[in-house]
Parts: sequence; C-alpha cells; structure tokens
Amino acid sequence: MEFLIGNFAELTITGLVLGSVYALVALGYTLVYGVLQLINFAHSEVFMWGTYAVVWVLTLLGASGTSSLAGAAGYLAIALVAAVLMSGGVALIVERFAYRRLVRQNAPKYIILISAIGASFVLSEIMGLRDKIAGFLGLQGVLGDYVNNPRNTSTLPVEIKPEPVLQIGNYMVRDTELLIIISALIMMFVLDQFIRRTSFGRQIRAVAQDPEAASLMGANSTNVVRLTFLIGGVMAGVAATLYMIKVGATGFNVGFVLGVKAFTAAVLGGIGNLRGALLGGLILGIAENYASGILGSEWRDVTAFVLLVLVLLVRPSGLLGESLGRARA
Amino acid sequence: MRAIKASQLLVVGVASALVLSACAAPADTTEGGSGSTESFSIAYQGPLTGADAKYGEYAKAGIEIALADYAAAYPDGPTVTAIYSDSQGDPAQAPALAADLINNADVLGVVGPAFSGETEATEPAYSEAGLVTVSPSATRVSLSEQGWSTFFRVVANDGAQAPAAAKLLTDVVGAKTVFVIDDASAYGVGLGDGIKDALGDKVIGSDSVEKGSTTDFSATVTKVTASGAEAVYYAGYATDAGLIQKQLTAAGFEGTYASGDGSLESTFIETAGEASEGAYLTAAAGAAGDDFVAKWDALTVSDKGSIGVYSTEAYDAAWVILSGIGEGNTTREDVLAWVAGYDAEGITKHIKFADNGEIDGAGGVYYYLVKDGDFEAPVAID
Amino acid sequence: MTLLEIRDLNVNYGHIEAIRGISFSVEEGTITTLIGANGAGKTTTLKTISGLRKVHSGSVFFDGKDITNAKPYERVKMGLTQSPEGRRCFPGMTVMENLEMGALLRKDRRSAAYREDLERVFGLFPRLQERVKQAAGTMSGGEQQMLAMGRALMARPRLVLLDEPSMGLAPKLIRQIFSIVDEIKAQGTTVLLVEQNANQALKRSDVAHVLETGKIVRSGPGEKLAADPAVKAAYLGGDV
Repeated sequence: MEFLIGNFAELTITGLVLGSVYALVALGYTLVYGVLQLINFAHSEVFMWGTYAVVWVLTLLGASGTSSLAGAAGYLAIALVAAVLMSGGVALIVERFAYRRLVRQNAPKYIILISAIGASFVLSEIMGLRDKIAGFLGLQGVLGDYVNNPRNTSTLPVEIKPEPVLQIGNYMVRDTELLIIISALIMMFVLDQFIRRTSFGRQIRAVAQDPEAASLMGANSTNVVRLTFLIGGVMAGVAATLYMIKVGATGFNVGFVLGVKAFTAAVLGGIGNLRGALLGGLILGIAENYASGILGSEWRDVTAFVLLVLVLLVRPSGLLGESLGRARA
Repeated sequence: MRAIKASQLLVVGVASALVLSACAAPADTTEGGSGSTESFSIAYQGPLTGADAKYGEYAKAGIEIALADYAAAYPDGPTVTAIYSDSQGDPAQAPALAADLINNADVLGVVGPAFSGETEATEPAYSEAGLVTVSPSATRVSLSEQGWSTFFRVVANDGAQAPAAAKLLTDVVGAKTVFVIDDASAYGVGLGDGIKDALGDKVIGSDSVEKGSTTDFSATVTKVTASGAEAVYYAGYATDAGLIQKQLTAAGFEGTYASGDGSLESTFIETAGEASEGAYLTAAAGAAGDDFVAKWDALTVSDKGSIGVYSTEAYDAAWVILSGIGEGNTTREDVLAWVAGYDAEGITKHIKFADNGEIDGAGGVYYYLVKDGDFEAPVAID
Repeated sequence: MTLLEIRDLNVNYGHIEAIRGISFSVEEGTITTLIGANGAGKTTTLKTISGLRKVHSGSVFFDGKDITNAKPYERVKMGLTQSPEGRRCFPGMTVMENLEMGALLRKDRRSAAYREDLERVFGLFPRLQERVKQAAGTMSGGEQQMLAMGRALMARPRLVLLDEPSMGLAPKLIRQIFSIVDEIKAQGTTVLLVEQNANQALKRSDVAHVLETGKIVRSGPGEKLAADPAVKAAYLGGDV
C-alpha cells in the first residue's frame, strides 16, 4: 500500500499506457458486437498481424540501430500506415470468410462464434507457420528474413529509446508513453465523431439498433458489417503500432492474452458502447498496475477478472452499458 | 525374462543377417536387413515451437551429433533414430506426449524433459513405465527428491546455480542490494528462492510475474526503480527476461541485470536490444568445444538444429543412452540399468549418477556476459 | 398506371405457408388497403414487397420492373419505402437523425429539394419539428408513429407502405393519422395501407382487399367493401 502511494503517478501513467492499447483493441470487439451481437474472437489476431506489419515494413525499409522517438517518426508513420492496412485487410478477410455467409443465412450464434474461434487459430498459425507456407509457395528464398524462425519472438529492427519529457508527481513521463496515451485518445475522439456525425456512422448505429428497419431505409447491411470490421481493424492497426513502440517485440501468439484483456475491457465498459471500451480499457490497465503493486505482479490477471465480476454483479451491462446506437451523449 | 532372451536371439540373428547381406550386397549395408526389427528410437521431449523453441533447437544439435557419433562407433549396432516430441515446454501439454512415447515400444530412452515444469508433469509416468529419461537442462532441485527411478540429469541443479549466481552478483558485480524476480514457473520459483536464500538480507525486494501472461511489466519496473536496487536477477525465460530488461532500462534503471540459464539464448538479446549490453547470464553449462562445432558443421541431416546453451549437455544425455543401445541393451529395463550404472567421461564432465539421478560431483557453474550483441565465452564462477 | 403488381405470390415461413397465391395491383395515385385478422398475412405481404422476406414463388413488379429478387436497398432506391409495424424508429437517434436515415440513399441532401421534403414532413407532422433534437426512444407512441411515417417519406418515395399506422393509438390520434394518410395521397404519393382499423381504412381506400389465412377472399372499392355485410360482420365490429 505504501508502495502504491509512493509511486502512484508512475503506476497510473504506465497503467494508462497499457490501458490505451487495451481500449483501442476493445473497440473492435465492441463495434462488431454492437452491429452483429457476436463476439469476434478473431480480432486478437487482427491486432497480432498489425504488429508484424510494423516489424516487416521497418525491416523492408532497412531501419536499424537505436533512435529517439522523434528520430524514428518517419519510420513510425510508415509503420502506422502498414499496420492499419494490414489489420484492416485481415479484419475484412475475417468478415468475408468467417462471417458473411453465416450471418446472411441467419446461422445460430454459437456456430458463428465457433467459426470466429477457428479463424483466430488459423490466423495465428498462419503467422506461426509462415516459413512453411512460404516454402510451399517457393518463396522462402525471397522472403527469408520475414518468414524465418516464425515461432520465435520478432523484434522491431529499430530500437526506440524513450526520453523523459514531463514531470507528473514524482514520475518523469516518457515521450513514448505520452504519445501512446494521446494517440489513443485522439483515435477514440475521431471514431466517436465518425460514428455520431457521418452518414456511415449513422448507418452503423441504425443497423446496431434495428437491422430490419435500417434495411427498410436502404442500408446495405453487408456493407455496414464490412465497414464495421474495417474500422475495428484500423483501430487494431493503430493499437499494434503503439504496442510495438512500447514493447518492441511480438510473436505469433501475442494476440491471445491481449485479446482476452481487451475483450474484458469492452465488457467492463459495457459491450457495444464505444466510450465504454475506452473507459474499460483505461480502468483495466490502471487496476492491473495497482494490484501488481500492492499484491505482486502474479496477481494482475486475477485482479482483472475479479474486477470484471464485481462490476458485472453491480452493473450487469457494464459501466456505461448501452448498445452502440444508444451510446450518444 | 523369456522375452528378453528372445530379443537377444533376434539381435544375434539380425546381426548375422546384416553381415551376410553386407557380403552379398555392399550397397545395402546402411539400410540393414529388410524386415529387421533391429531399429530403435531415442526421444527428445522439450520445446520445439513457442517462445522457448530455441532450447529444442539447441538440444537437437547435440542429439544429432550424438546419433552421428553412434553410427560411427557402432556400425553393427541397431539403427537408432530420434523422435522429437514438441511439448512447447508446457507442463499441460507434456503428459499426452509422454504417453505417446511410452506407448511406442521402439523408444528406449528419452533425452529430456527439457524443463523442470514438464518434468514434474511427466516423470511419474516415465517412472511407472520404466522408460529412462536423461535431462540436459531441467535444473529444479526438487526433481531428484521424488523417488523417480527413471530420472537422471547431466546438469548441475539450481541448488548449485543459485549460490553461484548469488556469488556472481556479490563478488563479480559487487552489488550490495539485489531485486529478485521470478516467473512463477517451477524453474523460476526454485531458482529465485535459491538466490534469495543465498543472498539473505541483500535482497531488498522481489516480485513474481506470470510467464507468458503479459508483455508489459511496468508495475515490476516501478518496484525495481523504487527499491533502488543495484542489481536485478530474473529467474525465468528469455523473452520475458528481454522485455523486462528493456523496460527497466527505458525507465532509467542503471544497475546490473542478470538472469539464469533459462534466458541464455539469442532471443534474450534480440528482445532486450541494446539494453542487454552488460547483462550477466548464469548457467551450469560451459561452452561447446571446437570439436563439437566441427562435428555439427559436418552433419548432413537437413534439420540439425543449432548450437547454443545445453547443446553439449544434450549430446551427453543422448550419448549415455545411445552407447547403452550400442553395447547391446535393447530393452527399456536394460537401458535403465545401463544409465544407472554409467561411469565414463562425457564432453561436459565426467558422467556418473548418484542414486537420485543427480550427476555425481556437480559440474561447474558459469556466467556469460553480453557484449556487442552476443554472449561472451563462459567464465567459471568459483 | 399500375405502380405495383403482385402475381401469384407464395411466401413460406419454414414449413408454414404464410401467403398462398395472392395477386393484386396498386394503381399510381391511389390508396390501396389490405385488411384482415391477425395472422392473415398482411405484414408478411408488405415485408415481401420491401424485400425483407424471400419469395417462394410468384413475382413482384414495381413500375413495370421485376423486383422479385431485388435487395431491399435497391427497392428503396426505386422509390418504394415502408413505415413498418410497431414504428421501429431508431431509439438512440434524434428525430432529425431518424429523418436523415429515411433519406439515406438520397444524394441530394444539401439541395433545395431535400429541404422542401423536410418542410413537407414537418408540415404534415408539426410535432416532429418541435422535437428535432429529442431521442426517438423517449417519445410517445403517437409521436413515434409520426416519425416512422415522416422517415418513410424522406426518401421521396413513389409508393409508401404503411403497416398498421393506427395501432395502439388513442382515437383522436388515429383520426389525425388517417387524415395525414389522405394528405400524403393528395401530395401525389401512392399508399399501400395495412390496417386492422378497417372502417377508417376502407372509407378512404380506392381499392381494398380482404386477406384470410394468406389468401385474398374479397376485393373491391373501399366504400363498397365497407358496405358488404360479410366484411361488416367480420371486421367492422368495433367502429371508432
């Protein structure tokens, strides 16, 4: 407890950093749930593929050595574009192959759920077996650096050195931490405005609230669902870039734990609710840090889920718990 | 007993068949007589995929060299092949794989299990089946205290590593205060606790992180920096060890970072990046000699792994079993007896086992310093 | 001119035959009404016309084109909209957002024509103008009914399907809603009306059809059917 008070600022800031990543990934779960009332279990892998896009594009560009955050800004901007394209693309693939036919045929939810879980394994293992896949295609020689040792950790070729920039309490906040928190908040704001103010956003909300009435208005639900997956993928791509700035390493299996946490964050905030995803993510990140501080780091997962259960006991629909469409100010 | 005699007869029979066929058709000698049952397997149980896959790769190098040496030393012996069983080092996955090996009558001995956790999960079954296991790398102290008749290891346990690591931190590094982190695995807790015991009140803080459950260690990092410790010892595996060191350095930690044999592989350096410069890694394993490297270079098999920590121990473990088979022990019972009675020079140390399966007369513990992005040659801690 | 034509339509729900071979047409500029008891197939007919239900056999023509297999949004684009049973306003959206949803497929949302249509809807339903910023879910049933009809008109349709617009409303409101239906017709939009409130509906219908268990059992001008003793006995019991 004394430790928590003495290091409150640091634990809070670093918790917010991780929470920001949770929140951005949680958006993908919450958007798809809002529109289809289905949990997209493959979303964790959409994020994972984004982290690899960051590694690959920087390898391709020949980035190396160490750099300050500002010095790597050009690389990171390109990496962001690559990650967004990759995650967005993978999300569309998931929608196309794991969802569309089943949704159109009104398949029972559990069947679609299984299909999504299957897609998640496939995506993860494609990454984990990419050397063999490249081999089948006869591309192993060409792709060498990108596909070798697929089950080992892949690290960012350029190492980003965080610099202290801002004193909060007794903690010097690093530039990378500031960047991550601010970027996540900006993305949340942009998305919120997009959903509330644009015609596309209105269509997403309409389909979320009443798909049949929406199609009577001329909404093309296939397009709306596709757009929803795409937005979730884009957010996961941003999250993947921020994650790589912070952690700097990824693996074919990093999606699972992060996905479970992000999903928890979405449920905590109220699944289907965009602002709930943000709130849930940030609270989860901070709570994990506080609990690790007080009880020991081996308690962080326990804490996360105890917190979830407690919140759901009091508020079964989550902290802000309303559906996507109702989630307007 | 009758079965054994029958198989021994068979050995003689097939051996003569081999000789005959060798005379008749020299080109066929390497294949042995067709229809021969004189072909056995040794198995490896450890991680070939997953975060710790490097250990499997390193062990594979040792086993493949041992197989080549076996073929050269016992040209008339039974054909022996290796089965690589990928447990991912996971105690939850290992039992089913062990059961497969036990049910495979061709398997006469196991090199492994690689990790302490999977050893705890599978050794009771091996022991019951009488299938001998010789681990190159499972170092948790308590493993030899369970009364498993089939458990052997060619490596010193953490009981030797922990005091040596403590000595490294105090004498070589010169740290007055140490923060100890373990990864809540069977191996990490054992090693971490051993170091805490050896360091006594020099330990000013400790934390336990869940292996594989996160890549963000900010709370742990805060604890370390808040404690003001001069050195950190992480008892766990390479990926997490690298991430923790990187995040410590990013948070301004300037003390010495050390970890154990679990982190002694290139993934650690790749993950930590520049932060890994000056890190110490301890292991009850020395370097591979030039001979060993030359033999590895000469291997012609397509997948021969790579040389790293515990490659030489894997060689010794494999050789203990293979030489037994070469000397005519072709039942599990005989191989087990052979291993228990083994007394010969290995490439890492003299190999002779105590009754509990520990190597008699512990081998040395070494430290490896990270410099210029690579591990320097090991230095003995004494 | 015939705007909508239904030919020998059959629609099934699983193994249940909901619509069994009905045919009728809607002339441009008229009000056509389907009456019938609960479960007679009125709502299913409208849903099929809007493309929400798959046709088992038979066909649907709109403005001379076969739209039997057209997607719902393609039908909206052609000028066929619906105010569904139970209003189905988007509860989390404001009145204005609901109306904008109605105009989803229009590309002229900045034009004078669009403003004109909005004014027209506000002219028909002054209450909506007062409440443009209110969330639809917080409005009364009558207001939501107005919104649902206004929303359907925002697409500037040639044919609007109104499914039970008077359901659950107070008598005074019901009269108001029906007079608005007259006005919609007067402004040139063709109406296909489904009603349980048969008396009010028949009075203003150019043509009406009586549905019983998925079949049309009687057809004729509204006034004439209203006078038919059998229809009177079956559907006009509770007059308002």
